[in-house]
Amino acid sequence: MHTVWVRLNAVVFYGLTVLLGLSILAALSMYGHHNRHKPVVSRLKLKKLRSLKSHGGVDRALLSFDLHADLRPTFHWNIKQLFVYVVATYETKTNPSNQVVLWDKIVEAIHPEDMVIKEDNIFVKYALVDQGAELRGKEVQLKLMWDHMPLTGGLYMGESTNTSTFTLPIDYR
Amino acid sequence: MLKEIMEKQMVELRKLWNNKRQLLFQVLNLAMIVFSALMIWKGLMVVTKSESPVVVVLSGSMEPAFQRGDILFLDNSQHEVGVGDVVVFKIKDRDIPIVHRILKVHTKPDGETYELLTKGDNNRVDDRGLYAPGQMWLGRDDILGKAVGTLRYVGMVTIALNDYPVLKYVLVGFMGLFVLTTKE
Repeated sequence: MHTVWVRLNAVVFYGLTVLLGLSILAALSMYGHHNRHKPVVSRLKLKKLRSLKSHGGVDRALLSFDLHADLRPTFHWNIKQLFVYVVATYETKTNPSNQVVLWDKIVEAIHPEDMVIKEDNIFVKYALVDQGAELRGKEVQLKLMWDHMPLTGGLYMGESTNTSTFTLPIDYR
Repeated sequence: MLKEIMEKQMVELRKLWNNKRQLLFQVLNLAMIVFSALMIWKGLMVVTKSESPVVVVLSGSMEPAFQRGDILFLDNSQHEVGVGDVVVFKIKDRDIPIVHRILKVHTKPDGETYELLTKGDNNRVDDRGLYAPGQMWLGRDDILGKAVGTLRYVGMVTIALNDYPVLKYVLVGFMGLFVLTTKE
């Protein structure tokens, strides 16, 4: 029982078992980290509402916002990247809950210079578009959320408690 | 060298055929392994309430987070989906599962019906162009599950098997042969 195949078999399967064990340990090492280390969002606020128009039968708002956030605390060795995005939520009669992404960014662990965001007057990547024509006069909340994407293990989200709201005008502009 | 191994296996198989009890033992051994694997798979399907609890990432549309060959663990047990969730969905009447992120969620007054728009992180535009003709939104039923965990590179084997189907038969053939003839 000392042929090449038996030895190869033993090495390969032992190697795979060790890899699996290490992956599980890597996943476990992240447990509780995001509760202890949270990013600091110092500013997320509407800067300027550029327009609110009816476009193809649906309401559409274009705006810009300020975002000051320090994402460094939430990184650790098993995080490959953070997917950061600004979410606008509002209610309408047709849809009691609407959550729309206005802007997103990929922040990779290998680019630490991206981890501190301090930009003003960021124009939205995706316009705030309603399913119908119900944006006028609605109150919109802006929130920053981020998705932790690990090298190996579980994916989990975090969101900022520092949110801001603004109200859209009653008429088209 | 391969010829020697094949000849050795043939000798073993012939020996096995003569000893029916041993043959039965080895066949049961093989069956145990196959059924254990099946049980684990089905068990995962029950726990995650998903028809496909483990998927392989096939395209580069979610790079750099998920690369071709990574495997994703899915959980379909929660009805609720939120904006930003990484989900795997299938367009009606199409076979290929797609892994993208939810960009927009509109919830209807019943609190349960969702209309969703998705987009791959690495794509320039949202997925409307991928949906069925005339389909503007995805529903909760189109979603196979939410990605909750990932393992790198493990799915490379599946991609290789997919690209070269003959490998499937070769692999299963060899594995079956070894399990039948090994004496351990």
